[in-house]
Amino acid sequence: MDGNARILVVDDEEIVLDSCTEILRGEGYQLATASDGARGLALVKEFRPDVVVVDLKMPGLSGFEVLEHLREADPTVVTIVITGYATVSSAVDAMKRGAYDFLPKPFTPEEFRLIIKRAVEKRSLTFEAMALRRERDLLRDHFAAIVSHELKAPLAAIQQNIFVLERELAAAATPEQRDRLARVKARMADLIQMVDTWRRGVSIDMDAIKARQVPVSVRIPIDKAVESALVYATRKAVTIDVAVSEPAPRVLGDQGTLTEAVVNILGNAVKFSRDGGRIEVTAELRDDDVRIAVTDHGVGITADELPHLFEAFYTQPGVAGERGSGLGLAVSRRIVEAHGGAITVQSTPGQGSTFVITLPAFGDDAPGEGRREAAPLAASAKDGSR
Amino acid sequence: MSERKRLMIIDDDPDFVSGIRAILDGAGYDTEVAYNPKDGYAALKARPHDLLLLDIMMGRGAEGVMMARKLRKDPALKGLPILIITGIREQIAFMFPGQAVHPNFVALNELIEKPVEPDLLLERVRALLQAAESRGQPVS
Repeated sequence: MDGNARILVVDDEEIVLDSCTEILRGEGYQLATASDGARGLALVKEFRPDVVVVDLKMPGLSGFEVLEHLREADPTVVTIVITGYATVSSAVDAMKRGAYDFLPKPFTPEEFRLIIKRAVEKRSLTFEAMALRRERDLLRDHFAAIVSHELKAPLAAIQQNIFVLERELAAAATPEQRDRLARVKARMADLIQMVDTWRRGVSIDMDAIKARQVPVSVRIPIDKAVESALVYATRKAVTIDVAVSEPAPRVLGDQGTLTEAVVNILGNAVKFSRDGGRIEVTAELRDDDVRIAVTDHGVGITADELPHLFEAFYTQPGVAGERGSGLGLAVSRRIVEAHGGAITVQSTPGQGSTFVITLPAFGDDAPGEGRREAAPLAASAKDGSR
Repeated sequence: MSERKRLMIIDDDPDFVSGIRAILDGAGYDTEVAYNPKDGYAALKARPHDLLLLDIMMGRGAEGVMMARKLRKDPALKGLPILIITGIREQIAFMFPGQAVHPNFVALNELIEKPVEPDLLLERVRALLQAAESRGQPVS
């Protein structure tokens, strides 16, 4: 709003229009009036009001219809309804349809001035909120670049020099010094890995994933993910059984990011498995979908945790106190959704969890291969049931 | 390798450069450094080099990419093997879809991520130099 807020009053009674104009005179608003709904709506385009005051009961277009049109045209316009019949129910109805407030007739000049003042404030708050949202989106987009260069670069430079020190001191250092250096190097590696995960979490480029999609056997991302989880699983004596139906189902996808999506879920399964536990990974064709399921028999997820599971930066320590970046599952979900699929989870506290990735199948056995633009399948990841 | 190979490093981070230069010097290579693409290009034009180690994110953005494209168009330098060392692997992959080696980008390049383990760095450098030598074409 630059300078004066613009107020539009729509009422079929001339006396109301006149008195509203009189009340707001000298208050620093720009005012326009219309004597029926159709004229009011026509004025909206031209006058671009910040606040619209509308009588609910008018001949022709009713106040409700005006509200409806306004909301379609510009939902940020703040609307106030005047109710002649002073029934609370019609006011409530109007507010359900998006009106910000209501004013029962008859009203005093003071009441009118006050409600307009609040509406104008509401309008500028709406704008502020929109600006903040835009800023947040912008920040999010730039975050990847900021993190990659401003944080990753110094970390990489430090680690590079630690590598060199380690070589140069190999002969001269005492075992304790070598051990200390190894610890520094390991912690630095963790830090770099975490920064990389964060960056990937915010910078997954959906368009790039779509552009790189080729037919991929699900065997490939699954095998690669198992291979990468194995080091960690072995440490906890967790076994991973893989069963992929033959011939292995194929999807139209990007192998690298699909692998990452499975790695994150499998890593989670290991993290929440008890020592000596078992994890099953299965993949099969079900109708036109490929269903990849990862089942662990670990600690499970409580019902109140489920809705937050796929949110960024949501993290729970693992069975052995393992910490994560809080981005793994959020990243997996974005990747799977970029492939036109969905992730769901089912869990029983104390008994374990099953994560299911559903992706549109590709190939002769899936006649619907051309429909990867189709709406995401199954329930949303938040449903927590399947 | 009968004579010492001359490597050019173009990277705007002096601390990182010191970390890889020590490894390469230690392995018996002659290294030369430029801290921006402009100086680097001038140095490559002035003297023959056997390999270029190139950073991607320099200056106002991906100036390393522009540098590599410019080299590829340069008749005298298009055969120069390039080892890209970058902190932003996957974003590079978006710029150049495909494998680590992008034939459509620069004929002889490899890409590794910062920081790089000394053995991996030396192995890649050796492999690229050998590949260039076995092709027997002048690389500079």
